[in-house]
Amino acid sequence: MSKPVSSRINSQSGEVIDRTKPINFTWNGQPLTAYEGDTIVSALMASGVQVISRSFKYHRPRGVLSASYVDPNCSVTVSDEPNVRGAHRRLREGDDVRAQNAWPSLKLDVRAVNQLVGRFLGPGFYYKTFIKPQFLWPSYQKVLSRFAPGGSPPAPGGGHGNFDKRYTHPDVLVAGAGPAGIAAAIEAARAGVKVMLVEEEYEIGGHLRYGGPEALAALAALRAEVNSYHNIEVLTDSVVTGRYDDNWVAVVQRSGVWSHERLIKARVGTLVVAPGLIERPYVFAGNDLPGVMLSTAAMRLLELHAVRPGTRAVILTANTSGDEAVERLRSAGVEIALVIDARTGVTLRRAIGRGRLKAVECADGTKIPADLLITATGWTAPTSLLNMAGDRPIWDPVAARFFPSELIPPSVMATGGIVGDGTIDQLIKHGRAVGAEAAARATGATPTPVPPLTREAHPALFHGPTTGFLDFSEDVKSKDIMAAVKEGYDSAELAKRFTTSGMGTSQGKLENVNAMAILAEATGRDLESTGTTIWRPPYAPISLGALAGRAFDPVRISPMQPWHVEHGAVPLIAGQWIRPEHYGDPSAEAQNVRTHVGIIDVTPLGKIDLQGPDVVKLLNLVYTNNWDNLQIGSVRYGVMCAEDGVVMDDGVTARLGTNHYLMTTTSSGAATVWETLEMWLQTSHPDWSVNVTPVTTAMASINIAGPNSRELLGRLTDIDLSPEAFGYMKVRTGSIAGVPDCVVWRIGFTGELSYEIHVPASFGLHVWETLLSVGADLGVSPFGVEAQRILRLEKGHLIVGQDTDGLTKAYEAGLGPLVKLGKDDFSGLPELRWQESLAGAHSQLVAIETTDPQLVPPEASQLVVGMAEIVGRITSSRMSPTLKRSIALARVSGELSVPGSRLTIVLPNGSRAEAVVRENLSFIDPEGVRLHG
Amino acid sequence: MSHAESVASIKEPGGAQARRRRSRGPARYSALDIFRRGVTNSDWPRSFRQHDLAKSYDVVIIGAGVHGLACAYYLAANHGITNVAVLDKSYMGGGGSGRNTAIIRSNYLTPEGVRFYDRSVVLYQNLAADLNYNVMFSQRGHLTLAHTDASLRTMNWRAEVNKLQGINSSVIDAAEVGRIVKYLDVSDRPRYPILGALYHPPGGIIRHDAVNWGYARAADHLGVQIHQQTEVLGIETAGGKVTGVRTNRGAISAPIVVNCTAGWATTISDMVDVKMPLITHPLQAAVTEPVKVFLPTVIVSGSLHVYVSQTDRGELVFGASVDPYPSYSMRGSLEFTESVASHILELIPSIGSLKVLRQWAGLCDMTPDYSPIMGVTPVDGFLVDVGWGTYGFKAGPVSGEAMAALIATGRVPEIISAFDLARFADGRLVGEKGAASVGH
Repeated sequence: MSKPVSSRINSQSGEVIDRTKPINFTWNGQPLTAYEGDTIVSALMASGVQVISRSFKYHRPRGVLSASYVDPNCSVTVSDEPNVRGAHRRLREGDDVRAQNAWPSLKLDVRAVNQLVGRFLGPGFYYKTFIKPQFLWPSYQKVLSRFAPGGSPPAPGGGHGNFDKRYTHPDVLVAGAGPAGIAAAIEAARAGVKVMLVEEEYEIGGHLRYGGPEALAALAALRAEVNSYHNIEVLTDSVVTGRYDDNWVAVVQRSGVWSHERLIKARVGTLVVAPGLIERPYVFAGNDLPGVMLSTAAMRLLELHAVRPGTRAVILTANTSGDEAVERLRSAGVEIALVIDARTGVTLRRAIGRGRLKAVECADGTKIPADLLITATGWTAPTSLLNMAGDRPIWDPVAARFFPSELIPPSVMATGGIVGDGTIDQLIKHGRAVGAEAAARATGATPTPVPPLTREAHPALFHGPTTGFLDFSEDVKSKDIMAAVKEGYDSAELAKRFTTSGMGTSQGKLENVNAMAILAEATGRDLESTGTTIWRPPYAPISLGALAGRAFDPVRISPMQPWHVEHGAVPLIAGQWIRPEHYGDPSAEAQNVRTHVGIIDVTPLGKIDLQGPDVVKLLNLVYTNNWDNLQIGSVRYGVMCAEDGVVMDDGVTARLGTNHYLMTTTSSGAATVWETLEMWLQTSHPDWSVNVTPVTTAMASINIAGPNSRELLGRLTDIDLSPEAFGYMKVRTGSIAGVPDCVVWRIGFTGELSYEIHVPASFGLHVWETLLSVGADLGVSPFGVEAQRILRLEKGHLIVGQDTDGLTKAYEAGLGPLVKLGKDDFSGLPELRWQESLAGAHSQLVAIETTDPQLVPPEASQLVVGMAEIVGRITSSRMSPTLKRSIALARVSGELSVPGSRLTIVLPNGSRAEAVVRENLSFIDPEGVRLHG
Repeated sequence: MSHAESVASIKEPGGAQARRRRSRGPARYSALDIFRRGVTNSDWPRSFRQHDLAKSYDVVIIGAGVHGLACAYYLAANHGITNVAVLDKSYMGGGGSGRNTAIIRSNYLTPEGVRFYDRSVVLYQNLAADLNYNVMFSQRGHLTLAHTDASLRTMNWRAEVNKLQGINSSVIDAAEVGRIVKYLDVSDRPRYPILGALYHPPGGIIRHDAVNWGYARAADHLGVQIHQQTEVLGIETAGGKVTGVRTNRGAISAPIVVNCTAGWATTISDMVDVKMPLITHPLQAAVTEPVKVFLPTVIVSGSLHVYVSQTDRGELVFGASVDPYPSYSMRGSLEFTESVASHILELIPSIGSLKVLRQWAGLCDMTPDYSPIMGVTPVDGFLVDVGWGTYGFKAGPVSGEAMAALIATGRVPEIISAFDLARFADGRLVGEKGAASVGH
């Protein structure tokens, strides 16, 4: 044989190429032409290209095997997209197609040297070497990692592309549009339900598309029928990748105007699984040579793309698909050198050639020159979707393939080759029966069984007398399985893991049954008891982009945020919120609060409206302190603990009316607290009458703090702010700046006289701006989160999650006085009761002063005894603008928490500093004169 | 305690047996031997032999995952106790040991945790040589990204604790993160920009199957029997002491039974009425098809609930935090892959066209403080090595070593003394939540 020749042949009746529309593309930089409708691989073969890729481990030249999406030999890079399935993807004008996994070129790949040492590269060879000397392993490993297969990842930079998702609710979804699948869709549609028909190929029809005149006629009739139903949505170049609980079905749509790939999520009434069958390769020496392919591959190339896959062929056939291939090849002008009928027990020995098939060696040793070897030795049932629905397939030794068991739920049905054999008419008839039943089940009918398709006998053929490739994408040979078994890796899962068979890009769809058969032989078991590994989702690969969809993670901002940005606020990402960290000088902002008055936007503060006669019971359950006697018009600070006694959240809750309360939470805890309240009400106390409404974003919240705050707010409200009328920890409602229905309470996180106001969100900006404009003479200015942190630290108020952590219980946070162990019940009570009995044994939150007043020990600096025994850490630290010295809160072990204890701090740079534990957590105004003024 | 007595009674014969078996000598793996067998076309011997179930063993270990196999290996190798059976209801390494994402690190939060996991890293570093099995430990570095002030604060805390414990761990800024991993988007474009990271150079990944098989092979060579497809149906006791187990292949008598069953731990402990504060949650993972290697380190983002590394075969391996609901189901969910994908693309925006090939789930036995439960129980002779949550694989070697020492000596090794079951009654929790929850 001279130069391999394959070429375009005359127009075929079922061809999908459009000869009026030529397409230009490049292959490894070389310009080539094709027709619209060509796959990358059919275009290459039409141009005489036979070698599409180099294999993973041995870098052997590889050509077409199955000519379908699962073809392990046809992955290419298109522009910057790696691992494109070249036997599936249709060419687009200008595509820049390149071979992968070959260097420096596809023709001359230096790593093919691995073939020469292949006998040393058995399964798990890497486990057995590079062990000593240990110091060389990292270098070996770097070399190994250069042998990683696949294309190159797209270079960094830019966004992640335009991906989208779609949600749909078909009554019947049919996975696979072969004759049975189409028929099922038609019959379901006839019953009037909403049908989605999903086909992996670019056209519906399955094997009818390349099955000859009779099949094409049947397909034309089915197509016409499909088109007559407006309630069938046909998706081509799309595949069902997963079936999850309650028929939650994932479909990946691979081409379309909207994006690269799209994920469709469907809640399906009845799922009809009709994927047809996958032709199984045959294992023998040389079975991976370019020119050796499956009968369906040859027919796809011939009938769909009018490409002649070779000039002189040997065919090994055990079924009608192989027999048909003989006829079709002959009529396409391919010389038929030999037909080996495997049904008679005859087989072939090996394929001969270097980089290209040259001859086929028969069982008797004769060598037949050929550039094409077709095998038709059996079928694999892609039972994946049924597996995901709970099925465990059963091997049928007569039909020589796996069939579904009866374990599938009634909402999942199957038709077509996956459940049996038959003529086109019989397949269509079964499909129609299943489709009608699927529609009936989707509309609530009691399931009735559909008579099964018959099963035809087929010889069980897996391998010839020689060893060959089993898993083409992983370069696993049949003898590797034998070797694995001899070494003790003798179960399906161990052999798979040890040889990596089935772990490559085709995920076992082609090779799994052969692997199990060879494993069964090697272990002396039969295939029925060997079983098969479990198919896991996704059935077909799905891109990260399609799974991710649009980048969509909303940002929450207060109504005043645009004002903050305009006025130079530095943004702080606080969970979902973005809020001002400061406006340029946090220290000055803090000082202005101490000397004049400041306002801070505290809208992110969690706010939950509670109404109903049983609110007090709920408050008593979630808070550690007592809520029985809170008067209307008062607020109270409370701490929530989880059931392990760990501090979960804190905040104040106001009583606005007889059965009406407004709870506030930390900004980060808003969602958790809401869920916790609902959890208690729904699981333990459904009898309590409480309406829980999160109102965080319904209200804009502003804290007005500083000695001039009363004067400032007084200018804008009708509420009597005099100390006698509106004392500390009280709440009032009234109008502010003309806005009615505002809630005002008097509390003091900053340690200053302060009022927290909650106004309807749409008036937030108005109130904010009015406060600033009417208070200019009072020295009002805005302050950000950083100034608030400084102020609260000066006052010694803790922040849950910063000064506490995932193990800090109420007593360890200095919150003991708020824990009322005498209450009947509250979340965390048993743990806290027990912890109280261990008083002093646990760590404590303390305020400390460094010996060097100018040294601010960074947060997370450790407190130690001796060289490295950790006894605590700094949880909060700042330079105090009020005291002009460093202040800090620390968590220290019990014995060191007593006032006056000397502590050693290890700073992040390794140096050490000394500090002393203070009497009181408050650095300023421990008596609360400012607060209560 | 009587546990020590039962240990003393088994030690001598076991030691003699071990020496006898060891003298046979295993087939050594080496480049030379690979060459020799390649040339002569000779087979490798079985790595794990099959045995009939004996009537009695000195020690029965339930669960042939990395913990059970390591325990068996160290019992034989360090203490000469070889009359040991490791039982598994399925195939070896088929639970969490074969389903985890194989990340190894020691940058934990509590001094107890740091010391413990660091010992495991040291054992892992020498494991290939110890077992004569290349476990392909790649200490490529481990980055825990911080996207918020709060997580940066936790990173600083961990770094400070780590430094005092002598662990190579430090906080680096976003620019440095970008220099180490060029594909990460360290700009301020993402919704949650990368502010910095905890960088732990000795962290990395390992071939988990190789670790399981390496321990199994070495233990087998020392005389330990590994029984796959052997399910424990009940545990026999008499007078508060363990006397044996019942299996689907028959009964075995044994004075010591060790529970190394991770996700199924409570089902085993329930057999002797030992209650443990464990809740089993599924943990999911997924893998992409291979591309050329571009990701040099392990990347973890607690805020985005995702971690990713790239194997030497070029696949990206992803994981996230445990599923929020308790379950024994090992099926993957669509929501998991969707959420992982969206978070990965936040971190590495250019790889949207890479395809997910496979997803799976394993089971995690979570404790309230995210630290394990190891050591003795109120039932004499019934030992536990459970509560492994999402961090069990990292701890395989040190757990095996310590449990073996406990069995052989009857004394709880100091390195695991903080992880005893009694801590839940005494209030001595070892809080690793901050470092372990998504901290792979």
